[in-house]
Amino acid sequence: MTAIPALPRAWAASSPNPHLMRLTLLVALTALPVMAAYGLDGRMFQGDSIWLKPLKFHLALVVYTGSLAIYAMLLPEGTFTSRRWRIYIGAVAACIIAELLWIGGAAALGTASHFNTVGLWGVIYPLMGLAAVVLTSLSLAMGVVFWRHRADPPMLALALGLVLTFVLTVPVAGTMSSGTGHLVGTPVTGARMPLMGWSREVGDLRLAHFLATHAMHVVPLAGLTGSRAAVWATAAGFTALVGWCFARALMGLPPF
Amino acid sequence: MPADALFQIANPMALLGWLALLAAPLAPRLAQSVAAATVPLVLSLAYAGLVLAFWWEAPGGFGSLPEVMALFTHPHTALAGWLHYLAFDLLLGAWEVRTARAEGIAHWAVIPCLVLTFLFGPAGLLAFGILRFTLTRKVLP
Repeated sequence: MTAIPALPRAWAASSPNPHLMRLTLLVALTALPVMAAYGLDGRMFQGDSIWLKPLKFHLALVVYTGSLAIYAMLLPEGTFTSRRWRIYIGAVAACIIAELLWIGGAAALGTASHFNTVGLWGVIYPLMGLAAVVLTSLSLAMGVVFWRHRADPPMLALALGLVLTFVLTVPVAGTMSSGTGHLVGTPVTGARMPLMGWSREVGDLRLAHFLATHAMHVVPLAGLTGSRAAVWATAAGFTALVGWCFARALMGLPPF
Repeated sequence: MPADALFQIANPMALLGWLALLAAPLAPRLAQSVAAATVPLVLSLAYAGLVLAFWWEAPGGFGSLPEVMALFTHPHTALAGWLHYLAFDLLLGAWEVRTARAEGIAHWAVIPCLVLTFLFGPAGLLAFGILRFTLTRKVLP
């Protein structure tokens, strides 16, 4: 009797996580009035439109929650929709909405959100740091679930990417937010990278933060090779890259 | 009646309607009868009276922004404009509460939309539109 040939593994086991999809849609649609304000408001903050930062956060959070919603497709239906997960995702949604209200509110009032120590803003700032950790913890929690399927290289890659997003982002963002600003060093004359706006003359902690946050997008690509060694090497290499950018920024040096 | 005295009566009336909407889950029908009928209709009655009595002497018009701004320099016309806001915003808030209830959207999620509708009318409509579309994928009434 011949062995039954192995069925090709279904790439998508389920539909995108409905709660995360709703959250993604909410963050995307609420970016529309922010875009309108970006077009109408001439006020500047540190050389950019005052509305650029809220817009960046909407975009980043759409990418984040949208990616997590889509990653959930790779595990069986119901993995992330139990009561416990719904409550947890609800808490993450509350943190995301709080962050966006804080950043958008500060822009509307023409003040700083991060690094603002004046009055009530100084009280809110550490709370928003806590909210940021809670919202980032979702990638860790989902990464741990993918880790159970680590025998499969793509699943291992997703697990490592998701866990690294949390593990790398929290120390980098924590260091950055507990300082006085995202730039380290002088003189700041305004030489910046196109589009992303990172400094080309002094240390800029935002680059390491950006890379750390996108571990969940870079490391899973290595899973496509089907090689566990390639996945581990990518995870290690990416961690080293984040560490290198972080260290250079802390030394007050531009990345390149 | 002086414009300012009417203004002082109209504001608490509208506020009563908004409080009814906030507490709507306790008495949905009562909240609707206050916020979607009684208060807007009384405000509309006052509005109609103001327009009939003062429109003839109001400066400006609708043709350009300076004309509209001139319109609002006349106390009774400005009061009419204010009543227009109060009546229609409240009516909109009542619609949001009613729609949310019919479509299974939790009242606590509608409260921020009500606050926005109360303060910044159309921004509240937009917020409710986004909330509703996010949860039910519906936009049409």
